[in-house]
Amino acid sequence: MITLPANRLLCIALLLMVVPVAVSGAPVTRTLSTAEPGAGEAFTVSLSIEDVALGGVVETLPAGYAFAETDHPADRILVRGQKIAFAVMNDTRIAYSVRAPASGSGDITGQWEDFIGEVDGAIPASHVAVDGIETAAESGGASPVAQEAASPFAVLAAIAGILIAAGRGGRR
Amino acid sequence: MNRRCLPALVLLLLVAVQAAAAEGIPGDADGDRVLTRAEYVAAALAYMIGDNDLARADIQDAAQVYAFWDGRPREITDSTGKTVTLYRPLRRVVIFAGESLETLRSLGFDMEKVVAVDKYSHAKNTFFPECREMGNVGSIWSPDMERVLILRPDTVFLYATISTAACDDIQNRLEASSPGIRVLRFDCFKPATYPDEIRTIASIIGKEERGEEFAAFYESTMDRIRDGAAGIPDGERTRVYFEYWFDYTTVAASAGYNEKTEIAGGTNPFATGTAEYPVVDPEAILVANPEVVIKLAGQGLAVGGYAGHDIAALDAIRSDMLGRPGWSGISAVKDGRVYVIHSDILGGAQHFIGTAYLAKWFYPDRFADLDPHAIHQRYLTDFQGIDFDLASEGTFVYP
Repeated sequence: MITLPANRLLCIALLLMVVPVAVSGAPVTRTLSTAEPGAGEAFTVSLSIEDVALGGVVETLPAGYAFAETDHPADRILVRGQKIAFAVMNDTRIAYSVRAPASGSGDITGQWEDFIGEVDGAIPASHVAVDGIETAAESGGASPVAQEAASPFAVLAAIAGILIAAGRGGRR
Repeated sequence: MNRRCLPALVLLLLVAVQAAAAEGIPGDADGDRVLTRAEYVAAALAYMIGDNDLARADIQDAAQVYAFWDGRPREITDSTGKTVTLYRPLRRVVIFAGESLETLRSLGFDMEKVVAVDKYSHAKNTFFPECREMGNVGSIWSPDMERVLILRPDTVFLYATISTAACDDIQNRLEASSPGIRVLRFDCFKPATYPDEIRTIASIIGKEERGEEFAAFYESTMDRIRDGAAGIPDGERTRVYFEYWFDYTTVAASAGYNEKTEIAGGTNPFATGTAEYPVVDPEAILVANPEVVIKLAGQGLAVGGYAGHDIAALDAIRSDMLGRPGWSGISAVKDGRVYVIHSDILGGAQHFIGTAYLAKWFYPDRFADLDPHAIHQRYLTDFQGIDFDLASEGTFVYP
């Protein structure tokens, strides 16, 4: 049997506390009215949602693409740069429109969270390209999952692990 | 810094942060103890967009408070009479009281949120298979407090009215080291208080509907027994000698087993003793001439129960009793009314199952339609959610 020193086990345990867990299997899927919009054309993105009583979706648009409007209640949406967050409250469908740039291609990516079911995951990416012409892709931003690792407790846990490792290492 | 102090300092720091995090409803921006729809949505959006201090567990807690508690703290009163304000649902639970653990499972609590249990529950591999993966925090008499603190529980369950000194001590130590911790105390084995405890615990975990269903199931059995035994004149009540695990040790009025004997319509000629489990003179049993003898198997007479399907072992216990000097003359033996019952179904949260057996043994005609075996199986299948077939597993009563 492989054994580890107690300090290493403790460090591993502390580090595990800051590793986010993503669950595959998506109750949220995305469809586009077109994947090859014309220059400056608005197209519709539809999100189908199953069995999420309270949760959220954050979509990230490719660089150059701009959020235009949505039928989702205005008080349950937040737009920040290329990211669009929706608060889900028993919704089964969210539709929003995006205005394409003069040129450019990339992926619309998304994350969903079911806060009651305590599961989350990624929405499969949807590729878009103005007039079907491919260009270099750019990233839209970090997912909310990364935020958990930055919570005060998680940071403290990580620091604690390092401190303990340092403190015990000196007694060898 | 003294390096020897470092781990302790870090541990205290972690505990302090966790305790602080337990105060207030996450997302309650104005701190008025009400999570409004606008506050919840703002918190959810901020979390999703990635510019908020709330971690995933925080927003999940906020959602549950908003969905199940109407956005308000939940005030509950445990079985010690103490009111505890809950600002968040239970997320990391340590349980020293196995009956509370069993009740939580009856109510559909997510057992993955139980991070540690008492050593007795931990050892019940058949009944609590999930506990093998949980921490073991010892017993209320010898708690592993260091392990409890390392596990950072937000809630700890203790007993309310038994071993109160030990439980008080654990509670005091927890509250001194982790001010934000919630200590909840329930018994979950007493007929008089169990229905209320079911409903209170259901309320704590947001499973009120399930709580009503389980309480109704429990009460339907106990009410059927009480109603069936009601009206029996004192002089006509079945005379019962209840023998504890140990030979010639019986139960007096203060013992829970006596209460269940009386609920089932029995009368205990040795109920007047001052000790909870008095030792009786063998001659006194012959003089009392019980109509029914009940022998308890369980921890102190370790045969049967969930751990083993060993009918022969229970038969051997019964045969030994039948062969005791002078017993051939007592009514219970002459009439073939000597029974063995396992404490798994009479002493804890499952006492209603055992009490149903007692009632049926005491008054076969009055309780002809009572089916303790079916009640037991339904409890295991529908409420405990374990795959356990009483037809081929476990031994709880004999004959």
